[in-house]
Amino acid sequence: MDIARWILGLFLAVVMNTSALAENPKDQIKQTTDRILSILTDPSHRGAAKAEERRKLIRKAVDERFDWEEMAQRALGIHWSKRTPEEKKEFVRLFEDLLARAYMDKIEGYSGERIVYAGEIIDGDRARANVKIVTSRNREIPLEYRLLKKGSQWLVYDISIEGVSLVNNYRTQFNSIILKSGYEDLVKKLKEKRSLEEKKEAKS
Amino acid sequence: MKKFDVELAVGVFVLAGLVCLGYLSIKLGKMEMVGGKGYELNALFPNVGGLKTGSPIVIAGVEVGRVKSIALENYQARVSISLPHDVKIQEDAIASIKTKGLIGEKYIEITPGGSEKILKPGSQIHETQPPVDLEELISKFVFGKI
Repeated sequence: MDIARWILGLFLAVVMNTSALAENPKDQIKQTTDRILSILTDPSHRGAAKAEERRKLIRKAVDERFDWEEMAQRALGIHWSKRTPEEKKEFVRLFEDLLARAYMDKIEGYSGERIVYAGEIIDGDRARANVKIVTSRNREIPLEYRLLKKGSQWLVYDISIEGVSLVNNYRTQFNSIILKSGYEDLVKKLKEKRSLEEKKEAKS
Repeated sequence: MKKFDVELAVGVFVLAGLVCLGYLSIKLGKMEMVGGKGYELNALFPNVGGLKTGSPIVIAGVEVGRVKSIALENYQARVSISLPHDVKIQEDAIASIKTKGLIGEKYIEITPGGSEKILKPGSQIHETQPPVDLEELISKFVFGKI
């Protein structure tokens, strides 16, 4: 009887610890980052020929950690509520594309930088996780991820680099474009940017 | 009789001067004589870098409120701001501490968000950005990292 209870206790402790380990925002970010790094450094995925496949895998890993709709809504700010459901869907896709491509460019330039996971602050269903990227020249780039808990997953809705928020940056730009030339013009600009990037990718 | 008139005139003149002085100092000091009409919100910053009580709150370049108080809370700064009732702040609005010019006074800029939830009086603005520390940037540029 005692041994059975002891074994059950040990079993529960292990199970709860492992599931608790993967529940922290810091650990979930580490999981995603490790996955992306392994795709980048995998010899079977190297080379220009494998570029598209590599990008697809990285994109999939990023999709699981980033809440694109939340980011798009925050970036569009006061103009979000005026959009129709179709416009909202279209905008989320365009914004996701814009960010994923920018992110992809930076990721593909990875050349062995060290990633240091610093502290994290959890406040209910909100969290902030600090990460440092240490370059080969020992330059430190501080990154702060802001996450919201949705179910068991912590999803990123903003990134601050050197104290500058990505969402705030786009919010200011989008706001000024919309006020100057309208929402349709913003969509046009985003679509133009996308086709430009697609052409670049096709060439490489 | 004459002396009395002159003294009266001087007295009235001094009184008028004091009233003007009082009016001027109140106007310039921007004191709210009629209770504070508005509501309060608060935000937590890891660093406020020289923000003071009375520093302005700016939205779209327009000064809409003031910093009411700054207190140290758990080695972070809890800033309380007062805003007029007709200025609504969304749940995902971002409050950043900026500098007028490059080395001027500090102020809080709020960019409105896209959430439908409006912050009720007394609630917290969660999205904050600390000020960019010029000295820190210069030292990073000049000295780099060993």
